[in-house]
Amino acid sequence: MSQNVGVRAAGTRRWLKRLEVRMLGLALLVFAALSLASPFFLQANNLLNLLDQSVVTGIVAAGMTFVILTGGIDLSVGSVLGVTAVIMGLTIRHYGIAAGVGAALVSGGIAGLFSGVLVARFGLPSFVVTLGVMAIGRSLAYIFSGQNSISDLPAAMSDLVYTPILGVPSNVASLIAIYVLTWLYLGFTRGGRTIYAIGSNREAARIAGLNVLGYSILPYVISGVFSAIAGVLMSAQILSVDPLAGTGLELDAIAAVVIGGASLAGGRGSMIGTLIGVLIMVMIRNGLNLLGVSPFWQGSAIGVIIIAAVLIERLVSARTGGG
Amino acid sequence: MSDTALLSARGIEKIFDRTRALACASLEVRAGEVHGLLGANGAGKSTLSRVLSGQVRHDRGEIFWRGAPYAPRRPREAIEAGIGMVMQETSLAPDLTVLENIFLPALARPGGFRPRAFRAQAEAILEGLGQAQSLPLEAEVRSLSAAQRQLVEIAKTLAMEAALIIFDEPTASLSPGEVERLFDIITRLREEGRGIVFVSHRLEEVFAITNRVTVLREGRTVAASIPTASLTQAELIRLMAGQDVSGGRTSSRTTANGQEVVLEARHLAAPPKVRDVSFTLHRGEILGLGGLVGAGRSETLEILFGLRAPAGGEMRLEGRPFAPHRPREAIRAGLALVPEDRRGQSIVPDLSVQENLFLAHLAARRGFGVGLRDREAEARRLLERLDLPAGRLDEASMLAFSGGMQQKIILARWLLLKPRVLLLDEPTKGVDIGTRRSIYDMLREVAASGTAVLVVSSDFEELLELCARIVVISDGTTIADVESALLDETKLTLFAAPRSSMGAVSSLLAALVAEYGGVAFWGLIDGSLTEGGRFYCLARVGEDSAAEPGFRAGETPLIAATRIPAALSAPKEGFVREAGGSPATLLVPVKSHRGHALGWIGLSLAGASLPEPAPLRQRIGAVIAHEM
Repeated sequence: MSQNVGVRAAGTRRWLKRLEVRMLGLALLVFAALSLASPFFLQANNLLNLLDQSVVTGIVAAGMTFVILTGGIDLSVGSVLGVTAVIMGLTIRHYGIAAGVGAALVSGGIAGLFSGVLVARFGLPSFVVTLGVMAIGRSLAYIFSGQNSISDLPAAMSDLVYTPILGVPSNVASLIAIYVLTWLYLGFTRGGRTIYAIGSNREAARIAGLNVLGYSILPYVISGVFSAIAGVLMSAQILSVDPLAGTGLELDAIAAVVIGGASLAGGRGSMIGTLIGVLIMVMIRNGLNLLGVSPFWQGSAIGVIIIAAVLIERLVSARTGGG
Repeated sequence: MSDTALLSARGIEKIFDRTRALACASLEVRAGEVHGLLGANGAGKSTLSRVLSGQVRHDRGEIFWRGAPYAPRRPREAIEAGIGMVMQETSLAPDLTVLENIFLPALARPGGFRPRAFRAQAEAILEGLGQAQSLPLEAEVRSLSAAQRQLVEIAKTLAMEAALIIFDEPTASLSPGEVERLFDIITRLREEGRGIVFVSHRLEEVFAITNRVTVLREGRTVAASIPTASLTQAELIRLMAGQDVSGGRTSSRTTANGQEVVLEARHLAAPPKVRDVSFTLHRGEILGLGGLVGAGRSETLEILFGLRAPAGGEMRLEGRPFAPHRPREAIRAGLALVPEDRRGQSIVPDLSVQENLFLAHLAARRGFGVGLRDREAEARRLLERLDLPAGRLDEASMLAFSGGMQQKIILARWLLLKPRVLLLDEPTKGVDIGTRRSIYDMLREVAASGTAVLVVSSDFEELLELCARIVVISDGTTIADVESALLDETKLTLFAAPRSSMGAVSSLLAALVAEYGGVAFWGLIDGSLTEGGRFYCLARVGEDSAAEPGFRAGETPLIAATRIPAALSAPKEGFVREAGGSPATLLVPVKSHRGHALGWIGLSLAGASLPEPAPLRQRIGAVIAHEM
């Protein structure tokens, strides 16, 4: 067995070399550049702020990674976040915080199950299905909320976000916990490896007898639940729910996953990569704010980074003969 | 044949990743000759063809085309130079019409698509090939037969005015009648002064059509431009296989030996590909599923493995009804499938070699983790048995491996599960000759340990070597179940011919029965067998117990065991009456117009008054010469 472990470690090393290490290099470069450019960037306060800003995008991007690994895409994450947050807000009024959070997670799961079944069982393109769910979700968010913000959330909600766990606030702790658990799941369990196999060669996975249907649906459910978690944390932070919450979030999440080295064709990508992708995006936003750059330029900056990251990845992998 | 070389290639070398596909290959083709390019599977024939037609760039070596250096970087350059290739797996666009496909390359030239001019040109090309009636120009290519598609490919190269045409295994999916027609076309092309490269490993065809041959072995040319007429089949086999590999098959075919039935299929149907397939598979046996490409063999395996829903028929696994709806159910029941298309159906490129090896295990396992520990010892034993260095397991991708190595890993993937039934689809496609041997040995060993093995292959030699029994499928229907000791490639080819292309024979048989009664049949007589002559019945029409010949289509009885031994053992000009007085049988030899013997057509009649044999003989002979 020791030999076996050694084999896997060697494989993992090579894999790291291929993918995340390059992105980590990019992240450190951005980090160093911003540290030099702005005296405020490196302050402890700002670093914590950086992690705090990563929570919502990070959790949604984690779910998105699952979907993209199977070769799909989930455009509905932003509006699922919005509608589940509204459901939570309404439920809390009558049944309390625990029930509200539970209702949000369950409805997020149901939304994901709906998309997943249509994509995996009926073979519809994920782009189209989740585009539809995106529209439905946002529309329901308006209807359920009566087009108004829900601003009567109990103050105890903020405990969900600010209770320190091992010295870090609980929202950052949940982000870390989610990334550790999903990393372990994708790398070392039957289900995780099945998801990679499906994304890499669905037909081979099917013939090998893997549960292709089940593990094609699961990523959408995870994505829906994670969107709901992100919505809960977001609402708890500001103690209010806006039916517009999460608008445009799908683009940030997809961008983070892609910057993290995942292939939109499926089969390639990792949680570590996605986390780095999220941090790069948040750092750039944060840094540009600190430098006083107009927020209207931020979109261009993020866009350039996405395209450059993918272009570099393509050029490098073409040269090494991979991909 | 002119004496100057049209094309000459010397010292061609090509390395794919780590595999040396061509080591030192050379080829010289003259105008007005058919040049055979021969070699076993994996010898580099296809790679060399692809180099010449610009699909692959060679690493080293030089090519001269009409005396000038030639190094095509893409297919377009080869086309413009005048080198065309008729592909093994066709390169046609199925949704476009025949006409559009023929002129597809012309779309890239200035001038645009001129339907009327193109139409006239296409008609002229087909006329020149003597095939004016065989291709509807407005039909979608999707609706064509394999032979018609090939004709489109040929017309396509001619529309580009190719002076050299490479045919890559052109007969793999053709019936004998269609092969004859293709040979007519090739002969015409040669007479027009074009150079033809004919890539094949079927020796009879090589002798029938080529003027000179070049033999490749393990990527190198071992015999260059030898006149075909100066060679014997045995010499050619020795050149192709090398000295070390003895040609002797028959050595160790695994027979069922009365073992119990493991898997039984009765009248399986999944139209349009599978119509009526039946067979029984015994424990410890290697059974062949033979037939032409597209006959429905792969689809039959798909039904067995739960990849395709049958519309009719039943399957029994160890006596119990068996109807898997997905591969997982088939695997849990003890089946395993090594599919044909490794890249598309087996390899997961983003998983490591080790994970690829354990993929089926991952699926079969219950529980949360990946559990490689469970099968580690078995995996190590298998890798050793298959000569796979354990060190290569940690490589990141299987794609860098040679075809043979890949196939060994996929085979090991399934053997890890210790299946009761192992299904293999073209198990040595793209596998080099050395690895082929070890795969054969492995399959024999697996069968000997009690697994039932079912092999689908288009390579009849492979089936004859490996299998004790061969079930032949043609147009989705099982038509014969014959011991392979009784078969050779010629007989297998005739059994496997699509019934549709044999329509002329069938309608002749039906017409004879309608007119004269009795039983009409078509088959081969083989008197060369040691235990006495046998009759191989390919087709039969008519139910008349008084004229019963004593065999049905697909049967291969000893002549002595039939009801018409006198007629079959000594065919004469007229009717031969059996010893008991009935029936009387007329046998007429069938020859194609190229002179190939295609067996005998017989008419058995009861009763005393017999028709005049001479006009009958003429009628039977005439139909065949025109229609086959």
